[in-house]
Amino acid sequence: MTQPTSQPTTNRFTFRTLILLLIPIILLAGVITLFLYTGGGLRLESPAPVENLDVEKYILERNEIHLHVRNTGPEELTIASVIINEAVMPFSVTPGATIPRLGRAEIHVNYAWSQGEAYGITIFTSNAIPFAVDIPVAFETPQPSRGTFWSFTLIGLYVGVIPVFLGIFWFPALRQLGRRMMTFLMAATAGLLIFLGLDTLAEALEVAAEVPSAFQGIGLIGIGAVATFLLLDAISRRQTEITGSETERRLAIALMIAIGIGFHNLGEGLAIGAAYNVGEIALGTFLVVGFIIQNITEGLGIIAPVLRDRPTIGRLALMGLIGGGPAILGAWIGGFTPSPILAVLFLAIGTGAIFEVVYEIAKLIQKDTARESMPITVFSGVLTGMLMLWVTGLLIK
Amino acid sequence: MKPLSRRDFLKVGGLAVLGTAGATALTQNNDNQPVTEGPSKVHPSHAMQQGDHGDLPGTVGEVDHEKNGFNPTDILTDFDYGEVSTLPNGQTLREYRIISLNKNIEVIPGIEFPAWTYNGRVPGPTIRATEGDRIRIHFSNGSNHPHSIHFHGFHPGEMDGVPGTGPGGLVEPGGSFTYEFDAEPFGLHLYHCHVFPLARHIAKGLYGAFIVDPKEGRPPVDREMVMVMNGIDVDFDDANDFYAVNGIPFHYQNHPIQIRVGEKIRVYLVNILEFDLINSFHLHANFFHYYPTGTSLVPSEFTDTIIQGQAQRGILEFSYRYPGMYMFHAHVTEFAELGWNGMFEVIP
Repeated sequence: MTQPTSQPTTNRFTFRTLILLLIPIILLAGVITLFLYTGGGLRLESPAPVENLDVEKYILERNEIHLHVRNTGPEELTIASVIINEAVMPFSVTPGATIPRLGRAEIHVNYAWSQGEAYGITIFTSNAIPFAVDIPVAFETPQPSRGTFWSFTLIGLYVGVIPVFLGIFWFPALRQLGRRMMTFLMAATAGLLIFLGLDTLAEALEVAAEVPSAFQGIGLIGIGAVATFLLLDAISRRQTEITGSETERRLAIALMIAIGIGFHNLGEGLAIGAAYNVGEIALGTFLVVGFIIQNITEGLGIIAPVLRDRPTIGRLALMGLIGGGPAILGAWIGGFTPSPILAVLFLAIGTGAIFEVVYEIAKLIQKDTARESMPITVFSGVLTGMLMLWVTGLLIK
Repeated sequence: MKPLSRRDFLKVGGLAVLGTAGATALTQNNDNQPVTEGPSKVHPSHAMQQGDHGDLPGTVGEVDHEKNGFNPTDILTDFDYGEVSTLPNGQTLREYRIISLNKNIEVIPGIEFPAWTYNGRVPGPTIRATEGDRIRIHFSNGSNHPHSIHFHGFHPGEMDGVPGTGPGGLVEPGGSFTYEFDAEPFGLHLYHCHVFPLARHIAKGLYGAFIVDPKEGRPPVDREMVMVMNGIDVDFDDANDFYAVNGIPFHYQNHPIQIRVGEKIRVYLVNILEFDLINSFHLHANFFHYYPTGTSLVPSEFTDTIIQGQAQRGILEFSYRYPGMYMFHAHVTEFAELGWNGMFEVIP
């Protein structure tokens, strides 16, 4: 009975529905055309030109200042004047002084700047709208040379790789702990990750403010964080369906923790690299020491889920690299091609990954405490994890 | 104090390592840098260059003087003596026509300033008369804002061009008024719009020089020039973005004023700068006799730098001993680098 009726329905569906689907689109095109030609009866001419120019990066070379700018306004704009420290300077623009919407250009000025001094630059467009950029400390912008490459590698090593591995070295000792203690450690890891997740999110929001408005930094955070969370959740569920082995599952969670922490460290690397480029790094060796102390806890978090198992040394080393190595990558990217958009995206992915891992750990703890309820252990564990980062943070800030 | 974030800490923490490594990289860069002439992006009209030490302040390209309707080089020696006739009582009558107009003026190549002008130029015409002449200014307002002309000098209250003093105090768009008074005292004066808000009406370009020669004249010189020091607030934040003499920043730097060795030069210098408290004039490799307000024939000072507050003015007399290129500029040096800089090219 359903067979004869459903057959024509399917036919009609492909044919008529296509046209029905197209009708609104055709109408939309008509409305847009009408609007473009007539303005739709609205007076859309702005009384004053609306322009926006973002200085994405500046590069200082000997006697030269280069400004990388992007037009983030609604219309094209033209660079008309460049004033450096209250002096009108001759300049040139490549590819041209007129920049299309969302287009980029480089402004070049021959300017005898001095090492360590501050410069205020005002760029006037042809509509006499000023845009300011500050160079807080002038110094030659590091070029991608072997020397600077190695510097950034070193810094990533110190802030990311070494602390994570130091934490992993606790593995043999912690294996001796009892079941309750291991649950406590898992809870502490969850607390640790919540703290890191909040921190990553805050940093993403901070960088999002620097993203040109057309690129909607906050929206990027939402996309990156939610997509990562759901993707990791889907992967974890599928894995449970396939293997079902507790050991494999805990190892997978450890790996995911490593990935989450890796993204967090990538964000830190980006921040350090970018800060170094604009001279915002102040001196202080003891701070790196403090850094190592604080980030040791990250290594601890990675190994917590697999303490009762027997992962190979190779696996542990791999997880350490996944967790710490991105700090080096981040420092390279941040140092050589700083991009707030990329930074926001990485930090958002980190946020999503970290919170998903917290969710996974929560599920693990729930399973572990099904046989024996340990509410105080979980409570004190989570709190300990968060306090650990807060207190070590106090020590060094 | 703003509490430090983890990110701030990162910035600080990162340094220790980079401090050493980065510094090494920097020194190496400096050492390896070949000392060669940088790519020359300097505009050919620049009078001077600094070689390998960056460009001199200045503009790229040239503003469209034709479209602007005036050229500062011409303004320099453009004195308006008016339409001359004799009154029944034997007094000389000088009549001038001034119209206020809204006009976009390209002040920096690529930047147009929506100016308010007298006769379509900034500064307005240099009104020149002799002490005791009858002055008649036929003013009409061709703009869409009320304006007036307020002259410095002796005149009756209703000729003062200030709102509240009669029909000449505020001339509505499309309206007109004739200011009439005797040119007194001799000296270098100025005129400007006095409609409120005053600072904006002046800053937009409504001003000019007003020269009253003494009856017996000043001692003869070879060349006379007028220089009106002004500022341009292109973004209307009540702070000058550019500075100039006779309207266009850097004009006499890009187009040096040619004079000859030994030529006696007289400069009528007026300061109509808004927003900044003082302006100044400094002459290179030379000294000048200075006659404040030009109201005496005896110089008050022999100097190379003078300071003028708002609406102050004075006459400078000098001549050059040696040929060469000589700067003249505001010794408020930030004004100089923002446009108030010029050159005398002294030819043997």
